[in-house]
Amino acid sequence: MKTALGLTLTFSGIFVAFLLQEALPPVHAIHGARFIFVTMIFCYAAMVLPFPAMIAVALYTGLLSDLMYLNIVSSRVEIALGWSIVFFVIVGCIAQGLQPGLHRGHWWPLIPLSAVATSGYLLLQFGMISLRREEFVFQEAVVWRILAPGMLAALFSPLLYLAIEWLNRFFPGEPKRVRGY
Amino acid sequence: MKKLNIILILAVVGFAVYLSTLTPMEMQGIQARFLSFLSPFLRTGTAVQEQLGSVGAGLKTLDELEAENRKLNEQNRELLTTNNLLRETEAEINRLRLALEYRERSVFRLLPARIIARDASTWWSTVKINRGFEDGIDVDQPVLTDVGLVGKTTTVAKNESIVVLITDETCRVGAKIEGTREQGILSGVRVQDSAGIGELQLNFLSKNAAVEPGQKVYTAGVSNGVFPSGILIGAVKEFRTRPLDGQAIVEPSVDLSRTEDVFVVVGAK
Repeated sequence: MKTALGLTLTFSGIFVAFLLQEALPPVHAIHGARFIFVTMIFCYAAMVLPFPAMIAVALYTGLLSDLMYLNIVSSRVEIALGWSIVFFVIVGCIAQGLQPGLHRGHWWPLIPLSAVATSGYLLLQFGMISLRREEFVFQEAVVWRILAPGMLAALFSPLLYLAIEWLNRFFPGEPKRVRGY
Repeated sequence: MKKLNIILILAVVGFAVYLSTLTPMEMQGIQARFLSFLSPFLRTGTAVQEQLGSVGAGLKTLDELEAENRKLNEQNRELLTTNNLLRETEAEINRLRLALEYRERSVFRLLPARIIARDASTWWSTVKINRGFEDGIDVDQPVLTDVGLVGKTTTVAKNESIVVLITDETCRVGAKIEGTREQGILSGVRVQDSAGIGELQLNFLSKNAAVEPGQKVYTAGVSNGVFPSGILIGAVKEFRTRPLDGQAIVEPSVDLSRTEDVFVVVGAK
């Protein structure tokens, strides 16, 4: 019951995060880097949900992500549908490995995981675009646009964790033991 | 790892591989349906943004209002003078147009559209507009404003479309420079300066081209191309000589980060 509820909330949360990302403008002060919340929410969900539910969330997040940002100009696809699903499955499998730690109260791995997954996602996108366009462009702005969203995710992930833990108190189930760090 | 988990991973990866083998047309079809589903949420978001913006605009101090009023009065006087001058010019232009049957040759059928979402991704310069195939829009139709070229449509859903902007590296336009015989291929750059108006590069010009900053750049109207001839794109900012060709850096005439209303060229009149 709690898994089904968690899955529904994750699906809704990821959808809202996509809409929020769409609405928020790029931050000019950090070379046009953007807020990316989806990867962070996915990392949290992948750490707390059982494996089959994590796979379902990876499929959902990857598909939505590809559909949101699919760029086809003059019948030329830069990043095909489906690759994000594979990315989120890999990140999800790593997050599942951190689950025993989370049950013992070690929630802090969510911070580096969110940061690495967010920046890794952007780095992969950039790499695939560069391969497709047969030219690598290296500018300061590129580094900022890849690293800054990861740093922002690292900053926001504890807030996300604390907010969900607070909300968790209102739902039935065994309370988790959280060790402070 | 449990057998079931391995089967699940294989099934999802298999599905992802299947998706990646779809043709661009099929992918665009799926994206168009998704865009139609997303449309009410995007429109609500735009409406909320507008409401919030108008609230913010209303909160001004008296000093600011006074300064704004003074500025508007000055602008009004200037515009009245310009308007009188333009009236004469307009009459002259209309006479010449009629004489040359210009209207029949170069006036497009324009469909007004509004931008409902912009620059959603880190690496592509695109916007979403509130018109789709139900309004008569098709893939690869030019999008412009009264000031100049904006881009072209890519994915077209029922009531929304994605427009790739000329500042995107993948949007290529055949372009010519005013007052010269120089023609080249214009495109955006991979990473645009997010705070500026954007930058375009016009490649494959002659090395010894007589190109000066400020010269206007127009679409060249390549046969079977997307963009008709004569649409203003921008002005030359800088000319560089490279080992094999010349390159002009062009500043777009339309401020793509602020534009809200555009027109889609749906055909000729």
